[in-house]
Parts: sequence; C-alpha cells; structure tokens
Amino acid sequence: MNAIPREPWREPPIGLLAELTHRCPLACPYCSNPLELTARERELSTEVWLRVLEEAAALGVLQLHLSGGEPTLRTDLEAIVARARALELYSNLITAGVGVSERRLEALAKAGLDHVQLSVQDVDPEGCDRIGGFKGSLARKVAFARAVRALGLPLTLNAVVHRHNLDRLERFVELALELEADRLEVAHVQYYGWALANRAALMPTRAQLDRSVEIVKAARERYGDRLLIDFVVPDYYATHPKPCASGWGRAVILVAPDGRVLPCHAAPTIPGLDFPSVKDRPLAWIWHESPAFQRFRGFEWMQEPCRSCPRREIDFGGCRCQAMQLLGDPEATDPACSLSPHHARIRALAEAEAASAPPPFRYRRLAEPAAAVPA
Amino acid sequence: MSLAPEDRLVLARGVRVRFDPVRNCHVLLAPERVLFPCPTSVEILGRLAEPRPFAELVAGLAAEFDAPEEEIRADLEGLLADLVAQHVVRVERRGP
Ligand code: SF4
Ligand code: SF4
Repeated sequence: MNAIPREPWREPPIGLLAELTHRCPLACPYCSNPLELTARERELSTEVWLRVLEEAAALGVLQLHLSGGEPTLRTDLEAIVARARALELYSNLITAGVGVSERRLEALAKAGLDHVQLSVQDVDPEGCDRIGGFKGSLARKVAFARAVRALGLPLTLNAVVHRHNLDRLERFVELALELEADRLEVAHVQYYGWALANRAALMPTRAQLDRSVEIVKAARERYGDRLLIDFVVPDYYATHPKPCASGWGRAVILVAPDGRVLPCHAAPTIPGLDFPSVKDRPLAWIWHESPAFQRFRGFEWMQEPCRSCPRREIDFGGCRCQAMQLLGDPEATDPACSLSPHHARIRALAEAEAASAPPPFRYRRLAEPAAAVPA
Repeated sequence: MSLAPEDRLVLARGVRVRFDPVRNCHVLLAPERVLFPCPTSVEILGRLAEPRPFAELVAGLAAEFDAPEEEIRADLEGLLADLVAQHVVRVERRGP
C-alpha cells in the first residue's frame, strides 16, 4: 500500500453522479450497479440528498447526474431537481423511461430539469423486452421520448451495444433521428458489476465492433449537423485504455444510494479502501483528503510500463478496477492497454467468448447473492 | 460556414452559460459536456438566448465595442462556425 502522506487535492470535481436508488423495473444484464444492491430501507433521505447537493455546489460541481437504478422511483425527485436548479447545477435525468407519466415529466421540467437521457436496450421490441427483462418496454420508451421533446427538453438516447443488438445499430441512429434526439450515445458494454458476470453473454466479435465503428462514422458524416453522436469502444479490443472516469478522483464524484462516496461505480471492488459516507463526513473532506480518493491520484502509485509512459497524463494508466478484476492488482497497467504484458491474453479471452454460443443472461435483480465472477 | 445577414442564431437546446464562483470563470453547460468559453464567446453566447439574426448580432457588438461592422463580422464568422460545429449554437435558416 502507498503510505506517502499527501497534500489535499486542489481541483474541484465537475460532475456529481447521484445514484438515488438501486430499485429499477428493468433488469439489464450489463447494469453498472454492484451485484449486491442496496435495499430501499437503506436509501438516503431527501434531507440528506438536499444537503449533499448544497455541499457539491460549494465544492465546485457543475453537473448533477440523477441516476440509479431508476431515479424516478424516488418520489422526492422533483424536490431534488428544484434544489439543483436553485444551486445552478445542470441536472441530467438518466432514466429507462418505462414508468414515467407525462404529468410527472412535466413536473420535473417545471422544477428545472435540464436534460433527459433515455436508455434504449434495443430497437427491436422483442429484443428490448428480452434485454431489459420488461414487457412492452420499447413502446413506452418511444412515448416517453416524444413527451420529452414535446416539453422542449433536450434528449439523449443511450444505446448500450453488445453482441445481441449491434447488428441493428443503423436503426438506433434512425430512431434517434425520428425522435428528434439531440444526442445519441453508442456505448459498448463496459465489463464491471453485472456486465462482468454476463461478459460471455454480451461480448461482441471483432467484426461486429469494426462494423459499429463504420456505422458511427457514416452517421456522423451524414447527420452530424442534427445529431451529436458519442461513441465508447469496448476495452477488451482497445489499443489504449480509456481514461476511466477522467482519472481516479479527478472529475467525478459518485454518491451511492446508501451514502457511500466513490470515485466510480466499481471502486468498492478494490479491497482495502474505506469509502466514507456523506452521513459521516463533509463531501469536501471526502473529495480533497480522504485516503480512498487520494489513493490513485498523481503518478507515484504507478508501475511500469505506465510509470515512464508519456500517455500517463492522458489515460492515467487506465482503469484501476479493471486491473483489479482481471489481474488482481489495482496498481497494474490496465490490461486493456496494448503495452500491458497481459493484453494478448485478455483479448484472446474476449475473442473466445465472442466466438462461442452466448450463455443465458444472468439478470440484474435485487437480493441476488453475490457470486464469483469470471476472470 | 458562411452566414447570411438574415440567418438566425440561437443557443442549442440544453446549453446554459453561467459564472462559476469556485473556478472564477464562465462555464458552458450542455448535455454531458462542460466547456470553458473565452470572454468573447461568453459575450456572444449571452446574446443568443433567443434566436437573433446574424446582422443584428453584428450590429449590436459593433455598437458595444465601437468597432467597424466589417471587422466584427469577419471575426464572428470563424468563432460562430466553431460554436456551431460544437453543437453549442444552432443556425435557423429560412428556405431550403
Ligand atoms: S442499466 Fe437497466 S437495470 Fe440498470 S439501472 Fe439502467 S435500466 Fe435499470
Ligand atoms: S502504458 Fe499505462 S500510461 Fe501508457 S498507454 Fe498504457 S495504460 Fe496508458
């Protein structure tokens, strides 16, 4: 462990990811929530969330991402949005859009909501139901998207793509245009949490990935003036790793439903770190000084090849959680990096999984016992 | 991108510009994006909450900074092209 005492970190966070609840009507097998979900009884109260927003704004947070689970299951969402607006935080609702009435949406817009991000599991109705584990989901999502646009709110469609829906990527683009979305996020699955447990069921082939790159490129050329398209490629086929969460404790602060404060979703999978709760500590202390947030800041903790690599300022050595999950060492170079000695093995693993028949989904459900994950 | 005098410019949906007392500068907030615009951009963006014809924007800035309209127009075209490419400003054109 790194025992070097450190100066408090000076840069403020840009975004607060507020995971209001782990409850969700859907059960996506790639959900980024942890395998051990937090039950409703352990969720933070309205009062605490409002205080967290105050503290976040004072700390320098500019954007508030209201997420979950399904954040609209919190009946206090309007109050939370209204407080965000009063604090001039830019509020972004990340929703599955299946159980939200027009009236509810209108109330949220009135409270000052800035943007809606709607997940679409598949553009094929059956596929959408199968992936999300919810009947009749696509029609509800489409109706929800139209209600968002009717209210004049900006809309992003979020398409998480994998081996089961990639062959319909062009239709995702068409749907985004048809619904007059402002943005489309095409995000290959990132293998953490439930997605890691379902990796073999989701991993695309290299050919599917290459085709998705082409489709996104063509769509940007053709519709770039109307639709902003963001694209996240899958780690296992990457050359360089992603700058995960823009670097550990550098830009994002996440508050989990029970109040634990994390640098990213998967951080609790790293053993030996004690993540403080907003119930016990001020957000500012947690961000600037807590040992868990300080742990992978700067470059001293790095091993070779990262330590002497010029790209360390760009990607910060990749993802700590992925290094932990795949190599058992959170200080190792992310094996998504082609310079990692383990890269070839990880890539071969992805190719082998993608070439085999997909196993059935292990759906994301509350109270499922945490089981071993594949390595 | 060339702009006609009657082309109307407006902030793209979901874009907000505000002063951030923590960082002591203006910030531009958009869906999943935070940008730190230069003072000139802040001046321009502040005038585009409602759709405004390009000619009017030029005239307004020329009056404010006591500069020839030609000069302002030339500077503005490049900057606006950039803001449009970044989906921060939208152009509303009449006709095809
Ligand atoms: S990924 Fe699916 S299951 Fe997880 S929170 Fe989002 S909609 Fe719910
Ligand atoms: S060696 Fe480390 S710093 Fe260099 S590109 Fe790979 S992950 Fe990034």
